[in-house]
Amino acid sequence: MFRSLFLFDVTFWLYLAAVVLYFGYLAASRSLLQPAVAGHPAETTDEGSWAETLGLLATWVTFFGLIVNGMALGTRAYERMQLSGTFAPWSNQFEAMAYVSFATIAGYLLLELKYKIKAIGAFVVSIGFIAMGAASLLPYRYQTAEPLVPALNSYWIYIHVSITLTSYAAFAMAGGLGVMYLLKERAERRGMAPNSIYATFPSLEKIDELGYKAVMVGFPLLAFGTILGAMWANYAWGGYWSWDPKETWALIVWLIYGAYIHARMNRGWEGHRAAVYQIFGLLMVVFCFWGVNFLLSGLHAYA
Amino acid sequence: MNGTTDVAKAFSFKEFGDAFVGFFASLKLAILLMITLAILSTVGTVIQQGEQPQVYIKEYGETAYWWLTKLGITDIYHQWWFSSVLVLLCINSLTCFHQRFPAIWRSIRQDKVHVTVPFIQNLKRSTVLTLGADRQKVTETLAMGFADRGYHVLFNKGEQDTTVYATKGIMGWVAAHIAHLSVTVIIVGGLLGNVIGFRDFGVCLEGQTYHIPQGNFDLHVDKFWIDYYENGAVKSYNSTLTVIDQGQPSVTKTITVNDPLVYKGIWFYQSSYGDSWDRVEKARIVVKDKATDKVVGEAILDWQKEATLKDLGLKLQLTDFVADFGFDSKDRRVYSKTVEHENPAIKLAITESNQALPAPWIFYNYPDLFEIQGSKYKFELTGYLTKKFTGLQITKDPGVMFVWIGSTMLVVGVMLSAMIYHRRVWAKVVPNATGVTVYMGGTAYKGQIDFDREFERVTERVKAAAPTV
Repeated sequence: MFRSLFLFDVTFWLYLAAVVLYFGYLAASRSLLQPAVAGHPAETTDEGSWAETLGLLATWVTFFGLIVNGMALGTRAYERMQLSGTFAPWSNQFEAMAYVSFATIAGYLLLELKYKIKAIGAFVVSIGFIAMGAASLLPYRYQTAEPLVPALNSYWIYIHVSITLTSYAAFAMAGGLGVMYLLKERAERRGMAPNSIYATFPSLEKIDELGYKAVMVGFPLLAFGTILGAMWANYAWGGYWSWDPKETWALIVWLIYGAYIHARMNRGWEGHRAAVYQIFGLLMVVFCFWGVNFLLSGLHAYA
Repeated sequence: MNGTTDVAKAFSFKEFGDAFVGFFASLKLAILLMITLAILSTVGTVIQQGEQPQVYIKEYGETAYWWLTKLGITDIYHQWWFSSVLVLLCINSLTCFHQRFPAIWRSIRQDKVHVTVPFIQNLKRSTVLTLGADRQKVTETLAMGFADRGYHVLFNKGEQDTTVYATKGIMGWVAAHIAHLSVTVIIVGGLLGNVIGFRDFGVCLEGQTYHIPQGNFDLHVDKFWIDYYENGAVKSYNSTLTVIDQGQPSVTKTITVNDPLVYKGIWFYQSSYGDSWDRVEKARIVVKDKATDKVVGEAILDWQKEATLKDLGLKLQLTDFVADFGFDSKDRRVYSKTVEHENPAIKLAITESNQALPAPWIFYNYPDLFEIQGSKYKFELTGYLTKKFTGLQITKDPGVMFVWIGSTMLVVGVMLSAMIYHRRVWAKVVPNATGVTVYMGGTAYKGQIDFDREFERVTERVKAAAPTV
């Protein structure tokens, strides 16, 4: 138990370091955008290598954090196996949070690899960090690996929970991109200085498109995860749909993103509106994930 | 005159029909319905559903409760207006399919190749290239460029110019419509389950057989038990059940919370358990001497089995049990008032010195209530081991098959439509004095970044193959 808790702690600190490095990278590369002063080319090169070093370091620290996060989950799986014979390392609120931050960071690193945009890291890695931080703020009794209650003791927990949580991670990424969009948009409206930190962000169009992409990853996953939950419920609770608050909220979140996707088709919900909606969607996901467990009573209130 | 009649006629039938379909197929309605459903569902999670009146009165007060029940908010998911939103959603997705799918189907088989230059220039992404190469070569490079990226390429060679049309990802639309249809399939499955399915609950005791009228067979409960983890937490609830069909045992299965028994379309779930109110497993009886009030013996009695205490010359048998003693003075009958163990009592058949005594009721809470005539002893019930009952949920839902078919359609449809998206590019290659002018333009419904990149790469390839003028 303590071994995995230690690794979760290390993950938290590594993500914190990564967030600081990504912001450092933004700050360093911002001065690169300054129009070169005649006769001082050497300085610019120096700054450039600074930004490059910071960016590289940020990526590697994030990657290392992801590895430790994965190891923490793996260790927790082993501990669970020892304790109760099931291994799913996402069997309570704490573990689920740690898994969401794992999925968010993994998703981000893939995005960075594919699109080579590091500026996004400052926002998306922050979300992974916040998820990890919120998890470690949970009381100790929520962090330990208690054996599963009979209703959860099933192979469905492996697939239903992990897929649903992965969809949350995708929505978290869309939310982070939404925040980024609004910040950049505001800076542009105010007449952004060429060396503004926002100038290092990708173009508004690109942020918008990536946010939409993230939603398009989360939306099918949430559908799949919820349906798997329904199949499980059909075995465990005697019916595939009971209007339990958690499953109802999964449906609500899904409908909210469904409306978003349809609005985007040809009602022109792009840019500003889409960014605001992505943030709103993320808040709904957070409620579905946390609020329902702590504020509403229902069949899912195991934590 | 004639024109007016035409308009009137068209208004009454064709136009009305079109307007009707147009309204129901609209995206606006789809969005509105989804948001409405989301809001209604939210209300249903914030206000508890299907609770006892006192729960609401305590929380919201008497007047608010009256309004809540009046509006149906205490059972929101079963109101006619809630179902209406679901039905509207079906109509919406079906009309959308009806209105849009035929065009998609046609364009799979035959697409619009012929376009004008202004059409191309008005597309979301467009460019004009002036190249120093001949029409044939440029056309081929373009076609190869798109074909290499998985596009389906068509040509139209005219006298003046050549049109190249490249498309990819139409299946994304097909997938989206599969998802639209799935909504109806799922909702129909849900309604079917509500109309011709049933959900019952049974309290069953070990060793008993129950008739299941909906399936015309019997269910025998062999055993119920609970498994624990080392730390004492419950690991699983288990019941071993045997189906007896036409007098013959046909299936035996141990069900647990996640593993029901299915027989002839009827599902038996392990749903709850509890202490039985009319029998016990064992009871402990302490025998005291009436005169000295000293304990002279103790016996642990099994349910309805005679036990002998030789040194006291006693034979005891535990014949009855009630959890909450009640007496019906009209029928002169003892019964359990509730299922709670509020006032447990046993009936003891006593044979003392080979003489049967009148069987008394002995109360757990009131040991000194009755004196047994003709006996040297006092009997006290000092404890008992409850007999558990198993709570079975018995369900039949013929709609569930539709729900799974619909769910599969939904997941496959949504996944594919998220991954595949429709992209179309037109290029007109127009020969001029020094070579050709290429007007190229295209659209993508989503994935703009990836599309732009593809567009860019093909443009570069064409430029590389022919010198720009």
